[in-house]
Amino acid sequence: MKSSPIGLLVAVALGIFPAQSWAQAKAGKVTVAGKAAAPKDSEGVIDADASAAATTSGDAAAEAAPAAGDTPAEAGEETETPTGSGLEDICKIDPAACPNLDMDKEAARPLKEQIFAVQQAYALRVRRFELQAGWSQSMNDQFVGHPTPNLALNYYITNVLAIGINGQYYEPFNVDKAFNAQVRRAARVAVPLTEYQWGAALNFTYVPAYGKFAGFGDFIFHYDAYVVGGVGAMSVRPIPVIDPDNRNFDYQTKLAFNAGIGVRIFFNKWFAAVLEVRDYVFNDKLESLTVSKVPGPGPNGAGNPNTWYGDTKLTNNVQAQLGAAIFIPFSFDYRLPK
Amino acid sequence: MTTTKQKTMKRLVSVLAAALALCAFTERAEAQQILLTGPLAGAPAVRKLRLHRKGRFEVAPAVSFTLLDEYQRTIFAGAKLNYHFTDWLAFGAWGAFGAAHLTTHLSEQIQDVNAARRKVPGESLDERLTAVNLGPDFTKQLGTMDWVVAPQLTAVPFRGKLALFQSIYLDTDLYFFGGPAFVGLNERKNCAGTTQDPCVNNFTMATRMAIAPTFGLGFNFYINKWSAIGFEWRGMPFSWNTGGFDTAGGGKDKKFPDNKISNDDRQFNFNQVLTLSFNVYLPFQYKTSE
Repeated sequence: MKSSPIGLLVAVALGIFPAQSWAQAKAGKVTVAGKAAAPKDSEGVIDADASAAATTSGDAAAEAAPAAGDTPAEAGEETETPTGSGLEDICKIDPAACPNLDMDKEAARPLKEQIFAVQQAYALRVRRFELQAGWSQSMNDQFVGHPTPNLALNYYITNVLAIGINGQYYEPFNVDKAFNAQVRRAARVAVPLTEYQWGAALNFTYVPAYGKFAGFGDFIFHYDAYVVGGVGAMSVRPIPVIDPDNRNFDYQTKLAFNAGIGVRIFFNKWFAAVLEVRDYVFNDKLESLTVSKVPGPGPNGAGNPNTWYGDTKLTNNVQAQLGAAIFIPFSFDYRLPK
Repeated sequence: MTTTKQKTMKRLVSVLAAALALCAFTERAEAQQILLTGPLAGAPAVRKLRLHRKGRFEVAPAVSFTLLDEYQRTIFAGAKLNYHFTDWLAFGAWGAFGAAHLTTHLSEQIQDVNAARRKVPGESLDERLTAVNLGPDFTKQLGTMDWVVAPQLTAVPFRGKLALFQSIYLDTDLYFFGGPAFVGLNERKNCAGTTQDPCVNNFTMATRMAIAPTFGLGFNFYINKWSAIGFEWRGMPFSWNTGGFDTAGGGKDKKFPDNKISNDDRQFNFNQVLTLSFNVYLPFQYKTSE
């Protein structure tokens, strides 16, 4: 009995030995899925084929295990030498749990599993709120810049259709560009200008497209594309350039329609970056190009606001928006299996 | 009793040593299982990846539209030619000529006023004040972009797929490009405002080449193995005299008119171009990864 602990320790040492020999393969150029290399057994590089071969040989070993195992068992457990296969060891430890599969046959077996064209969209939108915040820049007005913060709240009735509201606040950010003064000075021609105060709309959003991008072959991000349209109002007024001495316009609310397209890039299942281009169309009342020669606020006087307005023109306010979207609730459940 | 205790201790130590060794053994064996077994061991992340670009020429007839023009819009007709060394890097060029020049509403307004002034007998005050800036036909003195050649390097860091209406599936990519642009301009000729070289009633045009940086990004949507639809935005910032006006050159900071047309009158413009292209890839068959 005195020698039994020593014998056990020897058994432990022998038990560790095969593990170390396996670790040798690991310390070599063992590759994992996604970083394949040509099979080089001497360097410990494993590929799928090699793995299958190893599995096959493992099966053979498993079949031969009783025979191979008999000898060490008879000679004593200390003499058992592992051959380097994890599968083989499972078979040795518990023959009942030993898998007995021919991997080549299994791989060749036809699959009848139902495959969906896209296995679960990355982020479902149905029954979720989307809160958007961003900054917009006008794209089609060479004369007055209309940058604005933009807020939107959408609720997705289905995964592709949402109803929502959005709003902009332009007033402090209108920019009368230097170009206007240059033209007035050079050509002595004044162009009626308009500035905006705010805008708000009720919108419908439809999401017909979604997809994913692999970036630098390293990471994947998901995106979707949507079209949006709605009706609302814009508060606008002319900037007095023809007769600034007499004219001082008040903001007027105009009916405005809008239509646009956008792209959302998802960073996770509830947070996304948003790029959007939307055209807000409204009927703009421009400053009159003629100035009454009658002074004062009389019926036809230069000070009478009725003489200040000229043509009415359908105006497009094309806004490009960069922002972020947050989906609430943050999590969701998939209805279909993966 | 002592002997029994010693034996018990020895057994306990032995069992503990064995248990520890077994723990170590099990841990290593598990790690080994993940690395060495399974049909996907050593497999690449994506098999049979369609390499739409690698080793292929891209010939892309394109039509381009300028954005945010003050006086005149230009529609370019041209083409992009690229050779893709790898699936993510290409070298090539975009070349185009100004196929159409469309005046803006502002130009038409200016010309309407200008024409009305010239109908008034004798020189009006407005006409005298604008004598350096407005010729008989304002639209004829506008600066135009006649052609562009832009050698460029293109990087395609993002590739992916797009599902449209859950029934159409397209391969896509997002690319960035940059390089120098050589732009052929036709703009009002410089004049000194002297008797020998007057600026009044002198609205001749001259051509020159501007060199500017150009950069942008675009999307390709692959229709089949050899073609794609491309959308591209391009920036080409440089200074030029778009209206043929005397706007600078005088005063302390040269920010006031000096009754001459000179290089100072060239105003900085962040010229922007949107391009729609039909890309053809040669050879027609793409390669695939292993």
